[in-house]
Amino acid sequence: MHPEVAAYVLGVLDDADLQAFERHLDSCERCQSELKELQDVPDLLDDLKLQPSASEDDDPPISMSR
Amino acid sequence: MCPVLGHLDDMEHRIQALYEQFGGPLLRHVRKTTGNDLQWAEDVVQETMVRAWRHSDRLQWEPGLVWAWLLTVARRIVIDGRRRRSARPREVEPPEADTVPVPDGCDRALSAIVVADALRSLSQEHREVIEQTYLRDRTISEAAEILGIPPGTVKSRLYYGIRALRGLLRDKGVAG
Ligand SMILES: [Zn+2]
Repeated sequence: MHPEVAAYVLGVLDDADLQAFERHLDSCERCQSELKELQDVPDLLDDLKLQPSASEDDDPPISMSR
Repeated sequence: MCPVLGHLDDMEHRIQALYEQFGGPLLRHVRKTTGNDLQWAEDVVQETMVRAWRHSDRLQWEPGLVWAWLLTVARRIVIDGRRRRSARPREVEPPEADTVPVPDGCDRALSAIVVADALRSLSQEHREVIEQTYLRDRTISEAAEILGIPPGTVKSRLYYGIRALRGLLRDKGVAG
């Protein structure tokens, strides 16, 4: 397996790696098949990531330093 | 395959054909991730179509793979746009499971709870790379720096973390 496929599906590869990975994808059936398989995951994560904030006001907390 | 000026008409026709084939479903999908900002979603679809045209050899793939690739290209364009829009680095805490989802669709709210639950069931190592990359619109190298681990480690943890998450979500019946 080629782990970069997960970062590719999620859209978080760095620019330089992105182009190289797409070239790899052109000839790697394993990654092609995982590209299809993993497609659900970012969409489901979006349900969590993009849900409106729980706070009463519309704006999310600007800076919550730890 | 390299376009020259004389082939502009040809290019427009091909992009038009791509729109007819994929434009509608892709726009519906992208709109879910642009906060229903239609203009932004349309721009994303257009840029996706142009990239598809530039790599038209990939359109020879089987339809399921072409669709997965287009979704992935569009997703990246949305993420890049969101990164540009938030000029300052995001210091907002990632979403928590106990936040109360505003009803913009019961399915999404329910799914958010299920997904948050599944994330919590992952190992710390798997959960943190998902949080520090996708959930915060950060790239691998940015997350690597924050976590103090090599980019290659982020990539492999992300791979196993995403596979584990998908397994959990399948068990819960929300992933295909
Ligand atoms: Zn591969």
